[in-house]
Amino acid sequence: MTKGRGVKIDDDSQAAGRGIRQSMSSLHTWAALLLGWILYAMFLTGTVSYFKDELSQWMRPELSRLSEIPDQAVVAQRIANELGNTVPGTTQWSIRLPDARNNSAYVFWRTSARNPGQRAFGEGNFDPATGQKVASRDTLGGEFFFRFHFQFHYMPVVWGRWLAGAAAMFMLVAIISGVITHKRIFVDFFTFRWGKRQRSWLDAHNALSVFGLPFHFMITYTGLVTLMALYMPWGENVAFKTPAERQQLTAELSAFIPVGKATGQKVPLASVEDMVRQAQERWGRDNVARVNAVLPGDAAARVAVTRGEAGRVSMSPQYMEFEGATGKLLAVRDHVGPAAETRGVFYALHLGRFSDAVTRWLYFLVSFTGTAMVGTGLVMWTVKRRKNLPEPDRPYFGFRLVERLNIASIAGLSVAMTAFLWGNRLLPPPLEGRADLEINLFFFVWALTLLHALVRPARSAWVEQLWMASVLLFLLPVLNALTTQRPLWHSLVEGDWIFVVMDLMCWTLALLHAVLAMRTARQRAGAPSRRKANRQAPITVASSERAG
Amino acid sequence: MSHLLAFVLCLAGFAALAFAMHRQQREIIGRPLRSITTNVLRLGGACALLCALGVLVAWNGWSLGLVMFSGHTSLNAGIVYCTLLGYARMRE
Amino acid sequence: MNAVLHRVRSTGPLISRIIAALFGGYALAALSSVAVLALPLSKPQAVLTGMLASFLIYAGAVIWVFAVRSALKAWAGLIIVAVALLPLAWSVS
Repeated sequence: MTKGRGVKIDDDSQAAGRGIRQSMSSLHTWAALLLGWILYAMFLTGTVSYFKDELSQWMRPELSRLSEIPDQAVVAQRIANELGNTVPGTTQWSIRLPDARNNSAYVFWRTSARNPGQRAFGEGNFDPATGQKVASRDTLGGEFFFRFHFQFHYMPVVWGRWLAGAAAMFMLVAIISGVITHKRIFVDFFTFRWGKRQRSWLDAHNALSVFGLPFHFMITYTGLVTLMALYMPWGENVAFKTPAERQQLTAELSAFIPVGKATGQKVPLASVEDMVRQAQERWGRDNVARVNAVLPGDAAARVAVTRGEAGRVSMSPQYMEFEGATGKLLAVRDHVGPAAETRGVFYALHLGRFSDAVTRWLYFLVSFTGTAMVGTGLVMWTVKRRKNLPEPDRPYFGFRLVERLNIASIAGLSVAMTAFLWGNRLLPPPLEGRADLEINLFFFVWALTLLHALVRPARSAWVEQLWMASVLLFLLPVLNALTTQRPLWHSLVEGDWIFVVMDLMCWTLALLHAVLAMRTARQRAGAPSRRKANRQAPITVASSERAG
Repeated sequence: MSHLLAFVLCLAGFAALAFAMHRQQREIIGRPLRSITTNVLRLGGACALLCALGVLVAWNGWSLGLVMFSGHTSLNAGIVYCTLLGYARMRE
Repeated sequence: MNAVLHRVRSTGPLISRIIAALFGGYALAALSSVAVLALPLSKPQAVLTGMLASFLIYAGAVIWVFAVRSALKAWAGLIIVAVALLPLAWSVS
């Protein structure tokens, strides 16, 4: 009797086990598929953003590289003077000082908003040697991919961030459901069988997901954390009613001193150089990140000098606060509460700005794996479903939609990103508004790839776009040699590693795209015969997948 | 420096762990190894990974060391995996 | 008419779950991020803790909604947790 009941319970739990794995499998597919194209774009632009500073340098070839990091104290003073001359009435400015990866200083300052809803600040890159705005082509540089990554473009910044957050939530659910559905994920690791074509997409997807699993989960969760104040403002709204109270929270998160009331009494800013020197003594000669000034030129001015990113895995604020008019040190803030520190660590883990060169490459490579994970997942959906199409030549609308979007979002994105770099080299440097033109070119080319994907047969579209990306990437170093003073041989001789590695990466990625193009073309040639054999295969595949 | 050492240790560690699996032993060597060998491989592999962590933490501190360890393990698990794959495909 | 009814009956639970997951999940996460203020932490730390944990709660709620056997059970689970958190959230607002 008990044996009978025992068996029944086993069956029930097994059935329940199969049930949950089935439901999680469906959840995984839908969560990943619905916003998969956005996720792919976020992943790829995010991956590239780990080298955004280097990319920015490459995109401003007129600015020679810094053979050594200039004294940050001196640079800060130069730029502070320049700002005092050019924007004397501003209530707030912020300088991100040059460092090992940035040969210019990025500065922004408050301006009076000309129209309501317009951004009320000016920004620019400044030459550390002269303290003045850089004399180089107007471009957003690597910042474009970085900003696109979390707020896209052509839409209000807040909408873009909400979209990115939604995509990240879908990703988080996809990861968790993916792990539940593939319970034996770590045991099965290493026992992969590469052979049967129909499984290989699934296995590639599984493999890419597994070795990067700690990273993928971390990057998704920390990504949500970076914008958590936007996504979950409720606690803050309930707890803090007055701006002063809100300031309590802000102080735990950043080094921006709130703009107080101006006294109207004009007092020139004290020596910024001295302030930065004190910071250098505390944190290291090259380890000062920013100088922020509030009400510069007023008696109530305040200056915050923040610590650099090296050596600590946290973005929680550490800064020295000075009285702007006298230069007197008011406070050293280098400690925040535990929840704030946790958030600081999560933020740092996402951006990876603390990394040394090797660690940055590790971030890049594992993030690239994540990109491939999303890509293989999207492609796998069509591969799996193509076998089961009742009419292979006229698939249903959903299938056609996914198939075409895949091509443009994956292969097309490579083409568009490379076109962006081509635009940077081809658009004449003195051209008015060229920064926006570069960006518009990116989207224009991307739209063209979508058109191409809709018009051509699917396989041809894949192959042609992959080849297009490959050719554009391959020729980019050639274009660089023709249009700038920094061709590869010059960079090798000078030890200009950013330019050398950029050229080499272009060729490596060109090779990657060529290989993908060739393999896709070969698969397409072999497809018809395999399709007949696969008619019998779906059942075995389905059962082996469920077993796996 | 610490990165090179950690990389090599992680690579060796994952290779050892992979070889401690009967499936890989059958695929590559042709027969399953003795259980003593398997256990030594498993232990050795785990030790190599721990040593890698130790090297990175000693050189860079706990926070940086842990992050770097995560990167090295992800990468090297991938490398061992892709090598096994490539080997399996070549044999076909 | 019957065909329509059948359609509604077969997709109804799914739509219900989707709503529970998307909106119910978010509401639960938001509620918990307010309820956490009842903990004996300083206000800034409590607010931040609430935010940090909220995404895990949201994801957990979504998984729950699709893991359980029926849409009814899905909603029940969310509502039970919400009801437990409501007094805490009320006490701090």
